[in-house]
Parts: sequence; C-alpha cells; structure tokens
Amino acid sequence: MRRIAAASAEAQVLRVYAGQKATDAKAIAPELVTAEAEPEADADALTALVDWCVRFSPAVAADPPDGLFLDIAGVEHLFGGEAELMAELRDRLFANGLPFRLAIADTAGAAWALAHSGKDGTIAPPRGQAPLIAPLPPAALRLDPEAAAQIERLGLRRVGQLMDIPRGPLGRRFGAHALARLDQALGRAPEALAFRRPPTPWIDRLAFFEPISAPEDMARVTEDACARLCARLEAEGRGARRFEVGFCRVDGKIAAVEVGLAAAGRDARRLARLFAPKVETVDPGFGIDAVLIAAYEVEAVAGRQVRLEAGLAPAPEDGLIPLVDRLANRLGPERVWRAAPVESHVPELSVAREAPLGAEASNAQPWDVEAPRPTRLFRRPEPLEGVIALTPDDPPSQFRWRGRTHRVRRAEGPERIGEEWWTRDIGEVSVARVRDYYRVEDQDGARFWLFRAGLYQPGEPAKWWLHGVFG
Amino acid sequence: MSDFRGKRLAALQARIAALETGGRTDFGVLPFGEASLDGRLPGGGLPLGRWHEITGEGLEVETSAAPSAFTALLAAPLARRGEVVWVVRRDDLWAPGLAGLGFPAGRLIQVCARDEAEALSVMEDALSTVGVACVVGEVETVDLTAGRRLQLACERHGGTGFVIHRRPFGGTARREPAGSAAATRWRVGSAPSEPPAGEFGLGAPRFRAHLERCRGGRTGAWIVEAAGAYSRTLLEETADVAHPLRLVAELGDRQLAPASERRAA
Repeated sequence: MRRIAAASAEAQVLRVYAGQKATDAKAIAPELVTAEAEPEADADALTALVDWCVRFSPAVAADPPDGLFLDIAGVEHLFGGEAELMAELRDRLFANGLPFRLAIADTAGAAWALAHSGKDGTIAPPRGQAPLIAPLPPAALRLDPEAAAQIERLGLRRVGQLMDIPRGPLGRRFGAHALARLDQALGRAPEALAFRRPPTPWIDRLAFFEPISAPEDMARVTEDACARLCARLEAEGRGARRFEVGFCRVDGKIAAVEVGLAAAGRDARRLARLFAPKVETVDPGFGIDAVLIAAYEVEAVAGRQVRLEAGLAPAPEDGLIPLVDRLANRLGPERVWRAAPVESHVPELSVAREAPLGAEASNAQPWDVEAPRPTRLFRRPEPLEGVIALTPDDPPSQFRWRGRTHRVRRAEGPERIGEEWWTRDIGEVSVARVRDYYRVEDQDGARFWLFRAGLYQPGEPAKWWLHGVFG
Repeated sequence: MSDFRGKRLAALQARIAALETGGRTDFGVLPFGEASLDGRLPGGGLPLGRWHEITGEGLEVETSAAPSAFTALLAAPLARRGEVVWVVRRDDLWAPGLAGLGFPAGRLIQVCARDEAEALSVMEDALSTVGVACVVGEVETVDLTAGRRLQLACERHGGTGFVIHRRPFGGTARREPAGSAAATRWRVGSAPSEPPAGEFGLGAPRFRAHLERCRGGRTGAWIVEAAGAYSRTLLEETADVAHPLRLVAELGDRQLAPASERRAA
C-alpha cells in the first residue's frame, strides 16, 4: 500500500497528512502532485545540511530523518547573541528555500520538543524550559510511537501532566525510556549526541560584510583568523598540533584546508605561511563570506624565553621543527620520515618509518652493525640470470644482472634468513621461503647482496635474486 | 723578526683568501687526517659551508650505491654536529646499511621528493635551517642557477651540501652543464677489497675516489677504505676522533679510467 511520506504546507491545508493512504489523499485533493519518496537522497541532503551548519557551530549532530542539533554553547557570542544567531540561521535557511522550525533550549530534548511542537523560533531562557514544554503533547518528548499512543489513551495530553506524576509510578507504567526522555528534556539526565566531527572548544570565526574571493584577501583573512585563535591559545598557555581552516562559500559549500605541526605550536605567522600554499588551491566560487578556524590536539605548551646568547647550540624550535612542518605540509607527512629499527630478521621488515620529530622512543634493539647490510635495498629483489655456482650450496662464481656479466672475486656467506614462521599458520610455513644471503664482490670491486631462494631440491635449478647493493 | 714576517704573511694570506671568497664567512674544514688528501684541498680539508658534487661511474650512476656509501662516510663526522637531511627521489636508501658504515642513522631525516625541482628546493630549504649540519640530495643535474642558490643557502648557517648525481633507472644520460658552483667534485666507484691476511671473505669496503674538480685546490685520485665498517669495536674506537675514511693508496691522475674503458682495453 502506498502512503504519503511527507506533505508540504499547501497540501496540509487540503488535509493531506503524512501516513495517509495515497489513494485517500488523491480522493481528497485530486489536484495533488506527488513524487516518489527517496530516503537515501533525504539522508544525503541532511548530511549536506549538517556540513553546511558547521558555519554556525562545529558541533552539529544529525537527527534523522529530518532534523539536526546544533550545540551553540560558547559560539553564540560570535554572532552577537542567541537571538542574532537564530535570525542569521533563519535568513540563510529561508534564502535556500528550505522549510524549517527552530528552537533554542538548554537541552537537546527540550529544543527538539519546542521545534517540533512548540512555537517556531522559541528561545527558552537558561533553566527555563520546563514551563515552555509543559503545554506540549507527550509525543514531543521523542517517545516510542506505542508509548506515546498509550499515554494519550490514558488522557495525559500534556507533558506538564507527566511532570506532575511521581517518578516511581511513571517509570513503572510507561517504562524507563519515557522517564529517561523526560529527564533529558528537563536537563536531569545527560544525553549523548553523535556529532559529525569531534567538537573542539578551540574554534574561531571571521565573517565579512561582502564576500571575498581575491587570493591575497584569502591569505590575509587566514592569517587574521590564525592570529585570533593563537592569541586565545597563548592566553591559556596552550598550543595545538593540527589546525583546520574552512572557507564558507556563498553557495553553502565549505572548502577546508588543514596543516599539521610536528610539535604543538601557536605562532600565527608561521601557521599562515604553512597555510598559504594550500589556501591558493581553494576555489572561492562566487565568494567567501566567512572563515572558520579550529585547532585540534590541543596540549599545554610552555612559553619560551627569547634567547640572548647566540653562542649556544640552536634549539629545535629555531630551525628543525619549522623545517619539518614546512616539508610535511608541502610534500605530505608520509614523505618525510626517520628510519627506526624494528626487531625482525627479515630485511624488508626491519625498518619502520616514524615521524621525524617527537616520535616515542621505541624499545627495539638497534640494527646489528656487525652484520653487513647494503646501502641500497631494492623494494623487490631483482632476478639474476646465468648464475653459475660450483655446487648448490656455493655462492655464485658468475651472474648476469641488468645485461652485464659479473665475475665474483670474493664472497661471504651464507647468512640464512627464514620467514617469521610464528606469525603464520603452521600449514603455510614452507622451506621455500628460506633465503641464503651472500655478500659478493665482482672483478671491479662492486659489492652485491644476493640470495638463493629456498633449499636445494635435486633436479630443480636454484633461483637467485639480487636484493641490494653495498657500493 | 722571522716571527713578525710570518705573522704578516699569514695576515696577507688571510686577506687574499677573504677577497677570493668574496666576503663569505669561513665555516672551517673537515680534515681527512691524511696529508696526501688534505694537502690537495683548500684549507687542509673538505670545506664546510659549501656544497660538493659526487658522481658514480658506470652502473653506479643509476644504482648510486658507492657514491651514497662514500657520502655517508663523509657526512658521518658532520652528523655529530646536527641533523642530516637526505633528499631522495626513489626510496631505496636503507638505514641499516648506513648504520653499518658508522653513520648515526638516528640523526637521519629522509625526504622523498616528487621531482627534480622539488628535490633541489627541499635541499635549499634544509640547508638554510639552523640545526641541520648537512644535506644530501640525489638529483640528476644541477645547473648553474640552482648551484648558486644552493651555495647561498649553505652560507646562511654553514650547512654543508652533498649532491649525488643519480640518473633514473634506464634513463638516458643528460648533458652535464658546463660550469658548477660546487666546491669539489668527486667521482666515486667501488674498489676491490682486501681481507686481512689469512681471512676469507670480503675486507673493509674500499672506494676509488677521484677528486675531479676542486676550487682553490688540486685534483687527485685515491683509494680509501672505510676501516671500521661492520665492526662494533672499531666503530666505537674511531667514533669521536678520526675520520671514518682511511687512505689505502694514492693513484696517479692518469691511471684512473672508468671501469668500462679499462675492461675493454
């Protein structure tokens, strides 16, 4: 059976309502225009709206199917107050042609109740939501449909009547869920909202009277936004490792760029320089009317005295940390690394890449300097051709690599390196994955690290590979 | 009297040196500790606060194993003064191998650049950073402008640069630019090693180092040995005092021909 999923305001005037049978609705209003419901598209649109709302507060939580929560604690002053914030939100939503109902209250539950059942645009004063939600129907408490229907059947038409009932009988009669919802609306119980991005109190915002789009303007507002946030960080003796700047475009999209720091910092000019090449790639579209900045991974940073004595060894803050920041943000953090030892005999597993600065010291043993290892290790060993070895267990006396024949003058080995059998299923362990490494030197003095794969099998030619060069 | 003359002579020599360097600060030298080598280099050692070119011969232009091992040995004493930034294009540089040569791998920051121009600009950026003692970069060629920029970056805080000329695998050789702003230019290849008498296997790694160009000095060719390589006791003994490279033999300039030509002969 086809039912009405949602009805516009005009249709509601004609007494079409959600949940009605489609044939009934057509009978009541023959001129009714219907379209197929698209729940996935609705969900996508809600996600887009949640992202768009980030311009008002970084803490936005979707409330499917058709609502969202904005946590505006601590951001309303950026707009001049709660009423001004709501007015701006109203203007922008109206300009986008979206139907909406707004309410502000201390708790998510009360705001939901006021927005769905109360007067549009209600702003509940702090701790004053109880009298405002008292006249609303019990369904405004976000109850299960069955519980709400049962409450109404018992003649409880208003939330206020529920509030008057002692808690014990109320919980017994209508379940813990109804009690929890009532408590959440009144602020007696906490409620967890799933915010789209991790909320951070370290945000700031700059809005402009006229949209900007010139690259130099964008660079300047980035620096201004950095300076505002960094001043706050400095006042509290903190620094952050990650900064994100979002450019709110006039068409509602937000273009975000991010920089990471090797050590927590709050130097606005340095940040602006790191942002500069990334800001250049931002497409301003028809203009940008606000800039958001957020700091993540905020930690305490001690202030630093300006050094007077020039003779001392330079501190890492002077050169190394800014250098690593510049390189990591320009090339990508995976392109700047320090090699750290890993306790593994398998050559390709014995090196890990770690962040160049601030990585935790690992307990791994350093590499054994007594075991000769090549300066260049090929990512995949290269096959050798024309290998001549005296006996299967001998190092080769001649081999061909990259079209050149090398006659081996001196050789050392073998060093047998097996797979890490303890990390595999016992059935998969095989002698074919044993390598016998030799260090050999050819007639010109070039030194190679080559290995024979697997144990000697009669009748099968040995497979030789070159894994690295010593130089 | 002779002392007075000697002092005046030294002062005059210093003034001439200052004129030659164009008012550049002198950041000192890194002596090899071998008279035959140090005598050819201006100031008695590898000049610091400058940049040096290192090329390979034959297949080494592509694999760049001997040049990078030689560079790591040159840079090892510098690594005790600050960080070493190694700019690569292909990430096959292997830290355990450098550690075996006595290079402090914990001081090494590796950067993988996406193209030639980026590698050069990263080198420049790192060279002009306080706390970076030396920067190694693997690039194909350095033209005169890029070389001059590297030199200016070196002079800011006395960082020392090493450019390893390395061609992509299978690539054709590019024409080398006529001039270069580098202080020295070395052509490095592997040389056959000699194990100690009565022992099997390979000896300490040896390199044929040909000083092809040297500003304010003379060229020469030597066979040098990383005497302490792959031995914990020797590395610890020589860590603080000596240069890791030991002279084995001096070659006549004419003797050193590229390996391929010698084979054909």
